[in-house]
Amino acid sequence: MVYICRWALPNTALKKKVLLMGKSGSGKTSMRSIIFANYIARDTRRLGATILDRLHSLQINSSLSTYSLVDSVGNTRTFDVEHSHVRFLGNLVLNLWDCGGQDTFMENYFTSQRDNIFRNVEVLIYVFDVESRELEKDMHYYQSCLEAILQNSPDAKIFCLVHKMDLVQEDQRDLIFKEREEDLRRLSRPLECSCFRTSIWDETLYKAWSSIVYQLIPNVQQLEMNLRNFAEIIEADEVLLFERATFLVISHYQCKEQRDAHRFEKISNIIKQFKLSCSKLAASFQSMEVRNSNFAAFIDIFTSNTYVMVVMSDPSIPSAATLINIRNARKHFEKLE
Amino acid sequence: MADLDSDSRQLLAPEADREVLPGPMNIQFESSDLRPNRPFHVEPTNIVSVSGVLQRVSDHASAMNKRIHYYSRLAAPADQALVAPDHVVPAPEERYVYSPLGSAYKLQSCPEGSGKNTSLVTIFMIWNTMMGTSILSIPWGIKQAGFTTGVCVILLMGLLTLYCCYRVLRSRATIPSVDTTAWEFPDVCRHYFGAFGQWSSLLFSLVSLVGAMIVYWVLMSNFLFNTGKFVFNFIHHINDTDAALSTNDSNPVTCPSAGSGHPDNGSAIFANATGLQQFERWWDKSRTVPFYLVGLLLPLLNFKSPSFFSKFNVLGTVSIVYLTFLVTLKAARLGFHLEFHWFTPTEFFVPEMRARFPQLTGVLTLAFFIHNCVITLLKNNKNQENNVRDLAVAYLLVTLTYLYIGVLVFASFPSPPLPKDCIEQNFLDNFPSTDVLSFVARIFLLFQMVTVYPLLGYLARVQLLGHVFGDPYPSIFHVLVLNLIIVGAGVSMACLYPNIGGIIRYSGAACGLAFVFVYPSLTYILSLRQEDRLTWPSLLFHALLIVLGLANLVAQFFM
Repeated sequence: MVYICRWALPNTALKKKVLLMGKSGSGKTSMRSIIFANYIARDTRRLGATILDRLHSLQINSSLSTYSLVDSVGNTRTFDVEHSHVRFLGNLVLNLWDCGGQDTFMENYFTSQRDNIFRNVEVLIYVFDVESRELEKDMHYYQSCLEAILQNSPDAKIFCLVHKMDLVQEDQRDLIFKEREEDLRRLSRPLECSCFRTSIWDETLYKAWSSIVYQLIPNVQQLEMNLRNFAEIIEADEVLLFERATFLVISHYQCKEQRDAHRFEKISNIIKQFKLSCSKLAASFQSMEVRNSNFAAFIDIFTSNTYVMVVMSDPSIPSAATLINIRNARKHFEKLE
Repeated sequence: MADLDSDSRQLLAPEADREVLPGPMNIQFESSDLRPNRPFHVEPTNIVSVSGVLQRVSDHASAMNKRIHYYSRLAAPADQALVAPDHVVPAPEERYVYSPLGSAYKLQSCPEGSGKNTSLVTIFMIWNTMMGTSILSIPWGIKQAGFTTGVCVILLMGLLTLYCCYRVLRSRATIPSVDTTAWEFPDVCRHYFGAFGQWSSLLFSLVSLVGAMIVYWVLMSNFLFNTGKFVFNFIHHINDTDAALSTNDSNPVTCPSAGSGHPDNGSAIFANATGLQQFERWWDKSRTVPFYLVGLLLPLLNFKSPSFFSKFNVLGTVSIVYLTFLVTLKAARLGFHLEFHWFTPTEFFVPEMRARFPQLTGVLTLAFFIHNCVITLLKNNKNQENNVRDLAVAYLLVTLTYLYIGVLVFASFPSPPLPKDCIEQNFLDNFPSTDVLSFVARIFLLFQMVTVYPLLGYLARVQLLGHVFGDPYPSIFHVLVLNLIIVGAGVSMACLYPNIGGIIRYSGAACGLAFVFVYPSLTYILSLRQEDRLTWPSLLFHALLIVLGLANLVAQFFM
């Protein structure tokens, strides 16, 4: 017999959530790790059959970040709810949930905590594995999540990611994605969902998350216009605005055709890799300047949620001048947020 | 979180040695990795120079490289979570080696510096690549040059092209500053001569490829026509006596160009008169058969990847061996007919020295051509120090093969009834279409050409569209237009000017000017000058080579 106890949650109303949900094994952990530059923690938290036999009680600690299973002999094992401590776009916290997996225990847990999980949700990102054999079941779980959203956070934005598209043959990808998209749109009514097809092995994951972030930023159009003015004033070749935690490109301005279409993702990967190196030294990345005879590039903190990258193709302009410009612009942009 | 800390501690040790990797971003997978992943090497891109020089690495591969690098930092090395699966790592570049009139095939990719081929295999590969259709025109070339001159010219051209090939082989060693392990000779030209070098080597390479494809079309029309005629005559039991000049014994040799236009005018009595006329109307060597080939070959040209065709490479070797056997048998039956007149032509013989010998040198430039891919071919040699020796042996064998077939056909041509001048540009044309042995030869060659033609088309497309548009298959429309142009050129030549000797010598002299004579010599002179080792004899000798190349081309138009 398993006892599940209820408890009173502290007031977490101020923190809005981003739910990353999907079947177990659909790729959420890898996705989170790649986007947020977290180390992938070892997979020790899967419940084994042996534990289920001797389960006695479940204890959940007050901040909903871990839960402990106590068996009848008194052994306690603590598990981590996939709770990221990354602040994302200022006030958003990412929660990762396995939805509709094999573990009936997790399912019960999930069902009993539904209201708590789905309260204060800003964004729901649901991940579908394109290779899954149980389409009906996946859709069923998706719909139940939507019901919970409708009850608890009806204003949440819904995004569906059809993931692991690299396993589909190239000429069939568009077709399969269109099919899934239609089904999902139909199932999601009356809620609106945006669908993306993604794979961690090409640029689609980065682009999808960039689009998601783009839609979450308030007054993003105004931000873009101001960015354009800024770029024109300082005569920059290209100006990029990155989200701070994930280095996803929120908006960019370029004054001429650039050759490499993959440059956003490449820059993001390079900087995140650099951040990982910095963090091992317990240092945090703040700014970078790259300069040679053909160009100068500046990456710096901009506002509380963003980084900026300015590329100047006139190397004769001294760095100090550009840095002053960026600092002045910072004050202006902070007022916009 | 306790979990995160323990993981980050775990990652510190293996990460440390991977961080200080200067130079190219080499991804090395752990040996404990059970999946057979290939190493995925991306050359360092030069972001400083903003010249329009094309990158060797595609944007896609470069982005994938950065991605894999970043993902490898996110998981413990033993964790299989973020290891790139095989299907996303870019496939190794397909390398094709070809000689325009010889064979073309896909080379098995091997990791750098560890070739597995023994000398014998390497020599055979070089011989096999060079040997091809040009062998059909060698007897005609000897006839144009005169017998003695012809033999001497063959030997000399062999030596000359061998020396230039040696220069091509050594051209990369003189570039110390850049990593040249993946370079071919056009890359060396680009290094020395910039964009001009790149575009001119592309142009001349295309000249040789398109010239070869035109020759193939003419020959394929010819062989298809003769095959069809043989089959028709065989089925309808028509004893076709040509009005053309021919020997009357059991080994007939004809002189098609001496006869009138249609050899079948007023032929022997046969049963189905109108049937033959119908057949002749629909099966004409220069008016209809070239067009029938369009239906067969144009679809084949549009394939994205011709690796299917490179499997038929063995047909080339079989054809050459069979031709050798055929020539030997015919020569044994016909006997030798040689007379030596030094300067004056007689009724049946040509002089030993003729002013038309540049025509032979033009043909031989393409017959001995392998300079575009000799570096790649010799990379797979197990003992790299034997490269020059193996190359020389291969050239010797090629020269001997050409000499054997050329001399035998020329010498055994039955001269008392037929003048030596009758030797056709394609020596198989000298055998009537009823001859079984040459029928088999034509069948072999027809099949071989049908399989090589799409490969050559693919190579021309990759080179041209890859350089102009950056993508070897920009759209079906571009590819179709290019293929139509090439096929159109082939069809029009087959209809209007089906003289393969002429086409070979013009395109050979043009392409050889760049790749055989000028570029190897010029790059050698420039590299010597950079190292201050240039001496007068060396300069004069290589300048002479360049002049010879120019003279070769100019003489084609006048002789």
